[in-house]
Formats: sequence, structure tokens, C-alpha cells
Amino acid sequence: MLEFRGLSVKYGRVNALRNINLRIDSGFTAIVGPNGSGKTTLLKALAGITEYEGEIILNGKPISSFDPVTRRKLITYIPPYTQAMPDMNIGDILLVGEGISRDKLEHYVKLMDVSNLLERRVWEVSSGELQRALIARGLSRNSIIYSVDEPVSHTDVKYQLRVLKELKDISLRSKHVLIASNQLNPVLRFADEVIALKKGSVHFFGSLPEFLNEDIIKGLYGINVKVVRINSLIDVVPTID
Amino acid sequence: MKSMASVEAYLEHRWRRFLVVTLSLTALLVIASLINLAVGSAVMNPLSVFSNGLHQIFYSRISIEGYRVERLSSAIIVGVALAISGYLIQSASKNPLGDPYLLGISSGALLFVVITFLIPVSLFSLFVLRPIAAFAGGLIAYLLTLMIASKAGMTPTTLVLSGVAVGTALYSLSLLPQYLVLRNIHRIFIWSQGSFIDPSPQGCMIVFSALIASFLLISSRLSVINALNVSDDVVKELGRSPELERKIMTFTASLLASLTVAWYGIIGFIGLASPHIARRLLRTGDARLILPSTVLVGSFLTVISDAVAKSVFYPIEIPVNIVISIFGGPALALILAGMRQSA
Repeated sequence: MLEFRGLSVKYGRVNALRNINLRIDSGFTAIVGPNGSGKTTLLKALAGITEYEGEIILNGKPISSFDPVTRRKLITYIPPYTQAMPDMNIGDILLVGEGISRDKLEHYVKLMDVSNLLERRVWEVSSGELQRALIARGLSRNSIIYSVDEPVSHTDVKYQLRVLKELKDISLRSKHVLIASNQLNPVLRFADEVIALKKGSVHFFGSLPEFLNEDIIKGLYGINVKVVRINSLIDVVPTID
Repeated sequence: MKSMASVEAYLEHRWRRFLVVTLSLTALLVIASLINLAVGSAVMNPLSVFSNGLHQIFYSRISIEGYRVERLSSAIIVGVALAISGYLIQSASKNPLGDPYLLGISSGALLFVVITFLIPVSLFSLFVLRPIAAFAGGLIAYLLTLMIASKAGMTPTTLVLSGVAVGTALYSLSLLPQYLVLRNIHRIFIWSQGSFIDPSPQGCMIVFSALIASFLLISSRLSVINALNVSDDVVKELGRSPELERKIMTFTASLLASLTVAWYGIIGFIGLASPHIARRLLRTGDARLILPSTVLVGSFLTVISDAVAKSVFYPIEIPVNIVISIFGGPALALILAGMRQSA
């Protein structure tokens, strides 16, 4: 059980998150909402990258009570991209940091097809290839919480499906997978619960079937949508009025 | 290869290249050192210069062999210090153009050291005041460069331009007392342009002690340096503060470069070129593999440049920085051209 109690984050004079109160079961949680609504900030606060007010509680214990190293092992933040020194290569990026299981890394390097990119420098790969490497690295850490930022923003449709399916499998092993994304369709397909943020506050929190309500989505993004179901697949289609 | 897991194969491949590169660079440094020992006022057998030199130094006797050994040691130590300084600046500022000379540190140190020349010479002014003044000057200059660059929106280019602005101003200021007050201007000019003509064993020991201290500091944070080269998030993942780590590295880099200036004057481009050459040779950015090669390249460059400086126009000795800059300018141009690709 992961709980946010009175979570607030300020960037200068901007309130990025205001008084978030949520209790999330283990599983696959999608975080959606318009640009600037606080999706990434929520993930970074959870990972301890961004300073916050309030409390984040994991299985009854405040995260701030863990020592910094344990805390960072428990939680993995996977960024959508990274601005590394030009001379770093993909292999360097995969191996940097702590808590990476070598066996898992071999597995995920194969799954994300990065084996042939290890000696390429960061500027010699595409943004999608770099993102695949960052995902392989992140998933190779033995964590309880995976805080994943836009995992399908640069990758092509094949890897989008592959990453999300893998994250779903991980979430089924009583882990927390939180995914922020602007791309509703691929992510919602796997979600158990949905957090919808708007201007730093919770606009909606509940199960996927509850979220798939045209009025809720309209209120969130301010556009008309149709929720289309094709067998078990869901498609949220914006409509032009 | 096929049967081996890919990350494991990559690591083994990388390790093999590291061994080959390190051994080759060591061999090159040995050859350069032998050439350096052999040339000078007369060409001598480098091996006998080395053994006789050590012998004479041990008995505190003044001899040409002893002088050549001291001069070689200074060149090696200064090369190592400048190479590490450049590497730390590049990692801390995430800027491939990091170099103590380009960013104004050397000129700041030079100005403050020249000011100490105005004070009557004593043991205190030579061995306490001089290194402290050099470090203060170097650090102040670098902080000034960083301040101007962040006002201009910190990018590799604005950082270098700010460094050039600060460096030029401070360097020119350092010339004033040289022209107006100090008498032995030719000797000071040679020193300020980088030279091992006066291989002060005391200066050598002070730079060497700073090197040992920074080795201890760096070896415990190689993984942090790697993390800084990827992103601040990864540094935080290690439970460290990126800001604090940057400060420690900036401080160490300024100390090393400033102390070399205090006794051996300004020597540019070593800090810039050595890490780049090491990265190109090893095809990785991993600090654990890069640092040994960086240090070997740096000392190779100073040793071979010093051999050129003292022999090519003999009996006139030219400053080392002139030799290095003739090659350093084109090296900077090549790096700039490479950065265009990566932008």
C-alpha cells in the first residue's frame, strides 16, 4: 500500500502539486492529465528527486524515515530521456549507479534490443534507442516501486507494447508501477487504476472502468472524446466538433 | 561471442581494450621520458642520466643528471595534475570544453602569484604564501567565470567565452607588475608561459602532495563522477547531492591547476586534450577506465613538449606552453568540430 498524505510541491512561486491525498494498491497505475498538471512532479517526489511537503507512506512507514540509500533502492525512477556527456556510450549509461542486477540487465538488454548499441555514444543513437536503454537499466533494479515517466514517448509501437506488457507483469508481482503519460490508449490498456491530475490537484482517482467516462475525460482535457471498445481493447478518440 | 551474454561480452571487450591502451600509453610515456632525459645542453645516454641523477639527488649534490631527473619528474607530475584538473572540470560542468586555462583558473593563479613577487623573498613567501595565493587566485577566477556564464545562460560555449573574458583580463593585469616593478622580467616571462627550466623540488613536492590528496578523494567517488556524466537524478539515486559533488570536484580541479601555475606557470590544453584522447582511445566514458589513460596522456604530452622546448632551439629555451599551444589550438578546433556532430 502506497499512500500520499498532504503532498505538495512548489517550484518557485508555482504550485506544481497541491495537497495530494491518495491510497494506491500495488499494481499498474496510470497517471494522466494535461501538460503541466504535475504528472512528472508526482513521480519525482515519489523517487526523492524533488523536494516535497507532506508525507509518502509505503506499507505503513513514511518513506522519509528510510535511510537515503535504502530509499533509492526501493524506488526506481525511469526518465524518458537524459542529457548525458556526449562521450558517454550506451553501455556506460546502463552500468552507472547502484542496485542494478547483472542478470536482469542481460535479460532486459535483450528484451529492449539494445545489445548492438552498447558501444555507441549517446549522440550516435536515436531518442527511441536511448529511451530503450534507460528502460532496460531501470527495470534491472530490484525495486518495490517503479516510477516511470512517459515510457512510450520516443519508442516505436513494437517497443511501446513490449515495455508496457513487461511493466504489467512486474506490477502483478505485488509491486507498484506508476506510469505518467500523455498517450492514453497504449497505457490505459494495461492500467488497473488511474490518477488524473489537473493543475496540480487530483481531478479523478479510481479504477479504469470508472475513468472511462466521457464526461470525466472531457472535464480533464477540455475536449470532447468518444470511448470506443473493440472486443477487450479500449480507444479514447478525441472528436472534432 | 554469440554464446556470451551481451553485457558480459561488452565488459570483457572493454576491459581488453583498456589493457592494450594503458600498456601502450605507458610504453609511450617511458619512451618520451627517455628522450627528455637524453636531450638538453648535450645529448646523453638517458639510462645513465637516470641512474646517476638519482644517485646525485640522493647525496644532495648538484649535477646535470640530477637536474634532468628533477626536471622530468616535474613535467610528469604537472602533466598528471593538469589532466586530472581538466577531467574534473569537464565532469563537474558536463562540458567537453573544460580546461583550467580556457576557463581562467590559470590566469587567476598567475596574477596572484605575481603579486607575491612584490613581497621580499622568504621561506614563508615561497612555500606558504605562494601556493595559497595561487589557489585563491585560481578559485576566484573560476567562480567569476561560472558566475558570468550562468548569467549568460550556461552552455559549453558561454562557459568558455566567459573563461576567455576572465582569463584575458587577469592575465593582462598580471603583466603590469612584471613591466612596472619587477626586474628579472625575462625569467618571469619564461616561467609565466609555462616552463620546467627551474624544477623546484619543493614546488614539485607540494604539487605531488595535492595530487595524492586528490587521488584519495577521487578514487572514492568514481561512480559518482560517472553518475554526474549521465544525470543529476542518478547522482541522487546514489544518495549523494549533485551540487555538493560538483563543488568538491571544482575545488579539487582549481587546487591542482593553481599549484602547477605557482611553480611552472601557465600550461594550457593538457587538461582539455588528455580526457578527450583517453575517451577516443577507450571508446567509453567510464571514469574508472578513463582516468588512468587521461593521466598517462597528460604526462606524455608535458614530457614530450618539454623535450622539444629545451632542445629544438638550443641554446635558446622556449616556454612549454608555446610548444603545447601549437598543437593544442588544432586539438581544440577538432573537438569543436566533433561537438557540432553531437549537437
